[in-house]
Formats: sequence, structure tokens, C-alpha cells
Amino acid sequence: MANDRLRALEDVEKEIAVILQCAGNVVLELSKEKPNASLLDRQLSQFTGAVNRVESELSSQIRYLTQVATGQPHEGSTYSARKDCQMALNRAEYARVKLGELGRTCEVLLDPQT
Amino acid sequence: MERRKIALWLPETHFLEMSTPRVLPQSKETLLQSYNKRLKDDIRSILDNFTEIIKTAKVEDETQVSRATQGEQDHYEMHVRAANIVRAGESLMKLVSDLKQFLILNDFPSVNEAISLRNQQLRTLQEECDKKLTSLRDEIAIDLYELEEEYYSSSYSQWDSADLSLCEAFHRRDSWASPGSSVGTACGSEDASGPVCQESGLGHLNGHSSNAADHP
Repeated sequence: MANDRLRALEDVEKEIAVILQCAGNVVLELSKEKPNASLLDRQLSQFTGAVNRVESELSSQIRYLTQVATGQPHEGSTYSARKDCQMALNRAEYARVKLGELGRTCEVLLDPQT
Repeated sequence: MERRKIALWLPETHFLEMSTPRVLPQSKETLLQSYNKRLKDDIRSILDNFTEIIKTAKVEDETQVSRATQGEQDHYEMHVRAANIVRAGESLMKLVSDLKQFLILNDFPSVNEAISLRNQQLRTLQEECDKKLTSLRDEIAIDLYELEEEYYSSSYSQWDSADLSLCEAFHRRDSWASPGSSVGTACGSEDASGPVCQESGLGHLNGHSSNAADHP
């Protein structure tokens, strides 16, 4: 799907937030009197893992763009299909309005007292 | 001219690595190279500053200046390095946003796919709409035929010779098609001829009702 790459980039943004979070937690832990070694290890491994993932994902995206990008602007559009669909919906709306008028006229003729 | 010289100097290895010789416009290529550079610089900045903070956290026994001064200096250094890490993270976010924008504008395969999908959806919707309208038209034509027949065969109608009802139009059509047949002409005049008109007219109902309806 077209949105896979964009979704991957959104995940990269979350990973960057994780990097900063982990770095902050490590420094916070080190500032304590008795730092928890296991927590430090966990946060540190999470930090390095996130950094590696961010770097590999972004460089693969840039590599893909180097292969795919041209200098030309894209000239495709959905305008004609959108216009046709809009016209069809207008036709349906017009038919609905006319039928509504017809119905009201019939009601008026059938019940002249109301 | 100068930019081209710089481009020739710098990414020599980049050109050698690429198997298929693609000629990107200068601006796009320099843009992608700048993205690469930003990525590498930011990641390096984050890692270096982080390792330096960890190193600075180590308490030294022997210090060149007094402990308080050393402490103050370390405190300030850690502040600056932490700020550097945050700045690099912010710059990475900006890079991701720029990449997203570049993807949306220049990733032709996904743009083409998105356009064709949207076109398909819109065309399906339009065909469905038109199909429903056509079936509605056919149903209304049937009802209109019956209503006209009822109306023109009653005494309330003001029948104008130039103004043909549906069944009279069918009669005329039948008589043109087969001149030998002599079906009753005045469909709208008396009730007796009504059923005859109905029998002959109904055979051509769906195929020709639109034709009759188009002629006022």
C-alpha cells in the first residue's frame, strides 16, 4: 500500500522519542545513590537498539528515494473521476428532489383539506 | 557551475557504488545527500554526547581544581551535552518530516497506486449510482404508463390530437411497423378500447417506453 512507507516513518518518530526517553532514564538512574544495574542495562540496550533501528530505517528510506525520485512533478490526478462521480450524485439528488415534489403534489391533491 | 564542481568532488564513491547510472537533477541529488548527511550527523551527535555524559558522571579522586569547581564544570558540561542530545533528536524529527514530504511528492509508484485506487473507488460509486437511477427510471416508466392509460381513458382528460399518450404512441408505432394490422386507433377516447391498447402496448413496454417518454 502507498501508506506503508509513511507508517514506517511514523514508527521512526516514535523510536526517536524512545531514544530520548531511554537516555534520560539512564542519566536519572546514574544520579541516584545506588543505581539499579539491571534497569541501567535494560535502558541502555533499549537505547542502542532504538538508535540502530532509526539509523537503518532512515537510510533505507533515503536509498529508496534515491532510486525512485525523478526531478519531474507528478501530473496524475483524480479530477475526472471525481467530477463524474459528483455529476452522478447531483443527478441522484435532482431525482430525489423531483420525486419529493411529486409526492407532495400528490398528497396535496389527495387531501385538499389538510 | 560551482555547485556542479562540488558535486563532482564530493560523492565520488556514491557514483561508483550505483550500478544503474541514474541521472537525477542536481537539486534532487544534493537534497538526498543532505538528508544522508543530516542523518549521520544527528546520530553521531546523540551517541557522542551520551557517551561523554556517562564518562563525565564518573567521580574522579584527583582533580586539577577544587572539587566544587570540578563539580560545577561537570554540571554545566552535562547540561550542554543533554541540550545537544535534545537538539539532535529535534533535528531528526525534522528530517523525518522532510522525508515524509518528499515521499508524498516524489514517490511515483505509491502516488500512482493511490491515484488508481481512488479513481476505481469513484468510478464504482458513479456506476452504482447510475445503475440505481436507471432502475428507478424503468420502474417509474411502468407506473407512468399505467397512470397515463387511466387518465386518458377517463372523462377528465382534455385530449388534444397533437398530444399523444403513451399507448397512442405505441399504436402509431405498431401501425407504422405493420400497416396490415388494424388495431383500434383512438385509444384515449373510450373505455372499451383501453384493454386492447394495454395488450398491444405492454409488449413493447421496456424497450420503447423511453422513446415515447422523450417525445412530449
